[in-house]
Amino acid sequence: MITTEVTFDELAALIKQAAGITVDPKELKQSADSPFDSFGLDSLGLLGIVGELENRYGRSLPPDSERCRTPQEFLNLVNSTLKAGA
Amino acid sequence: MSNRRTRRAAVTGIGVVAPNGLGTDAYGKSVGEGLGVLDLISREGCEHLPLRVAGEVRAFDPAALIEEKFLVQTDRFSHFAMAAAALALDDAGLGGDPAEPFSIGVVTAAGSGGGEFGQRELQKLWGQGSKFVGPYQSIAWFYAASTGQISIRGGFKGPCGVVASDEAGGLDSLAHAARAVRRGTDVMVVGAAEAPLAPYSMVCQLGYPELSTVDDPDRAYRPFTEKACGFVPAEGGALLVVEDETRARERGVPVRATVAGHAATFTGASRWAESREGLARAIRGALDEAGCAPEEIDVVFADALGVPEADRAEALAIADALGAHGTRVPVTAPKTGIGRAYCAAPVLDTVAAVLAMEQGRVPPTPNVFDICHDLDLVMSRARPTELRTALVLSRGLMGSNAALVVRRGDESAR
Amino acid sequence: MTRRVAVTGIGVVAPGGIGATAFWDLLAAGRTATRGISLFDPEGLRSRIAAECDFDPYEHGLDAELCQHADRYIQFAVVAAGEAVRDAGLDTGVVDPWRTAVSLGSAVGGTTRLEQDYVLVSERGRRWDVDHRAADPQLHLAFSPSTLASVVAERFDARGPVQTVSTGCTSGLDAVGYAFHTIAEGRADVCVAGASDSPISPITMACFDAIKATSPNNDDPEHASRPFDAHRDGFVMGEGAAVLVLEEYEHARARGAEVLCEISGYATYGNAYHMTGLTSEGLEMARAIDTTLDQARIDPTAIDYVNAHGSGTRQNDRHETAAVKRSLGAHAYETPMSSIKSMVGHSLGAIGAIEVVACVLALKHQVVPPTANYETPDPECDLDYVPRTARPRKLNNVLSVGSGFGGFQSAVLLTGPGGRTR
Repeated sequence: MITTEVTFDELAALIKQAAGITVDPKELKQSADSPFDSFGLDSLGLLGIVGELENRYGRSLPPDSERCRTPQEFLNLVNSTLKAGA
Repeated sequence: MSNRRTRRAAVTGIGVVAPNGLGTDAYGKSVGEGLGVLDLISREGCEHLPLRVAGEVRAFDPAALIEEKFLVQTDRFSHFAMAAAALALDDAGLGGDPAEPFSIGVVTAAGSGGGEFGQRELQKLWGQGSKFVGPYQSIAWFYAASTGQISIRGGFKGPCGVVASDEAGGLDSLAHAARAVRRGTDVMVVGAAEAPLAPYSMVCQLGYPELSTVDDPDRAYRPFTEKACGFVPAEGGALLVVEDETRARERGVPVRATVAGHAATFTGASRWAESREGLARAIRGALDEAGCAPEEIDVVFADALGVPEADRAEALAIADALGAHGTRVPVTAPKTGIGRAYCAAPVLDTVAAVLAMEQGRVPPTPNVFDICHDLDLVMSRARPTELRTALVLSRGLMGSNAALVVRRGDESAR
Repeated sequence: MTRRVAVTGIGVVAPGGIGATAFWDLLAAGRTATRGISLFDPEGLRSRIAAECDFDPYEHGLDAELCQHADRYIQFAVVAAGEAVRDAGLDTGVVDPWRTAVSLGSAVGGTTRLEQDYVLVSERGRRWDVDHRAADPQLHLAFSPSTLASVVAERFDARGPVQTVSTGCTSGLDAVGYAFHTIAEGRADVCVAGASDSPISPITMACFDAIKATSPNNDDPEHASRPFDAHRDGFVMGEGAAVLVLEEYEHARARGAEVLCEISGYATYGNAYHMTGLTSEGLEMARAIDTTLDQARIDPTAIDYVNAHGSGTRQNDRHETAAVKRSLGAHAYETPMSSIKSMVGHSLGAIGAIEVVACVLALKHQVVPPTANYETPDPECDLDYVPRTARPRKLNNVLSVGSGFGGFQSAVLLTGPGGRTR
């Protein structure tokens, strides 16, 4: 099975798709430890991204994934979950 | 609070997103010229439906007026409402964060909700599964979405409300705002916007016996004529800024009009003959609250449903309530050029009334010629005349009747 | 013009209790009506539990047309309104129809019916260009939110101002509040006021799943609604209706009607914060409470009971506790505050009216209904939530508060029939 990893580029695309907010992937990466709300993303937006990833990979993310505060924290959680399941 | 009794509700800002114009000036120009914009519906997935003609808002770019995230997070009806609210607040000189958040409230009327958004999420649920329903469904489909979004976007913490009393609810919302001002709130953002032209929403409307299914845009909506065959739906709407008149004058903004009186009655869904008495009582109630004699009414913006029995009842109600003046006063129905946008229809009429008083001319009733009722209906072209007081009428398909009296801005200063 | 507003009749259709007597028995006993969903097959949902009404329209004297064609939430409202009108002794001819108003709330209106027909016309979500030929010809009645007030007005011959109020989960409180204004300010003498919702359907359950607002405690539905408890994990969906007859005080006295209590204040504000989120400070709800106290000219210390929104979500119960402490100060710790959602679930727009009716009954019986399932204190929620057992108490001024999506924060103040104290 191919090991999948969600990148900052993909996260930026997800933010656009799920919450309608345009974020420059480079900026997302550079400010990976800034809180999501500094990018304009609220808790509903992050819930939408969690749902999209769960549907895309056919796998549940940990129950409180939407409580991650920063892009880095979120990607770490998502990617460790995907790896563990692979 | 001591001046509660004398607080008057002034219109200081207007924002319009209508089929015949984006922005108040464009709407006013089209209404004044009697431009008819009813057309075949062009929205995707609607081509096969037996409802062919409507008033569509075309060339509307929400991203030009509100943040792009709302394109994903809310429905089209809220896009219209938020854009119209932004225009109205700008007109009133109330941009930026409010200094006193609790002094500004929001009330909207809603009759169709976020139907297009809802259909998309229903499609995900039934086509793919419950886990495909997105988080914004919980805040985009329901009737309260526009009030909530306007309140949050503007930072308005005053009284917030939503009335859903069919078409007449548009006038009820204006009265609701005026009363909030009289009770002590400084400013209310008020009005309605609707977006009922999505495939499933249109299917839901097909059962209305009053709906016109004529597919010729020039003939589909002709109230007060022998060819009347029902009404044509529309989308879009208007938001107004209504505020304490004293405060408006103190901050030096023009008072465009005052909301002087309102009353509402109920006579049953589709019982149009009975709406005669209901509408007449609503008119008398509104005149009474405004302290206005029937002869003071300079123009009537009619409900103009386009159903023969309903048109007759309305003509008779005007005569019942205004007496002999009822057959002399100019009557108009600019909505025949754009259709009826449910709760937003009488709000757009109220805007047309304010503009008519400002410009000193009664706008015409597009597509209507040769009427068969004893009314002085203004047709073909606008009629120049001084207008100080206007009466706006509305009836809902579920049985509500409402009347609103608005006065020209400089009238109340006397 | 400000006139006194009396409550002269109540009616309720609630999970576990149809009719005011059965409803109060449920509350007083602290029984819960939450269970696994039976109204549809909930497989695949995160939250598969709800508080459902065991409701058969034929048992309540509705005519065949209403039984066969009206949406469930309309049927609830007609039954509750019928009980309230009978309770108030408002037989035909007692009041002037043109001075009779209707103010009814609903958060989601005809959504359940809209979804059922959507499934047909879209071939189960396969097509965007839906096929109208498969639709019920009466579907417009589900589409129009004003059908609710219209049907009730027609049935009880109300010809004054008739409106449907739809402010999400505060719809019920706001419908009562608008009715209060309508009578206090002289636009009607009688108002049939309340709310109804029947939201237990796939789309509404799925949309709350999507934001994880509902409890996933599917294995123990009876104990799933746990307002203010440290282990609360979301609200449990409910359904139902409640209707009150509000009446100008002297009008009620003149016809010899029993005044059950008075509505003595109402206010609503927006939090201008987030469509679903709540602050931890509760400033706006506190302001709504303060305004009702001002209207009734009473001190915070005169409040004898707070009927909480208490939905059982983490943020709501914390927000509300903060708001009540902000308004009542030290008196908050001496004031019982309970959530009947622990027993009857959260019926979205209807619950505010159901809770106002619970307050009328609490005043009548001089008993505070409990918060069922409350076991483990949460340090952030440190008031007296009346755990599990109803409590006799002298009650005169009672508050009902609520929060709704869109930021609505509302409060209704009720005062016993003896009038205001302090």
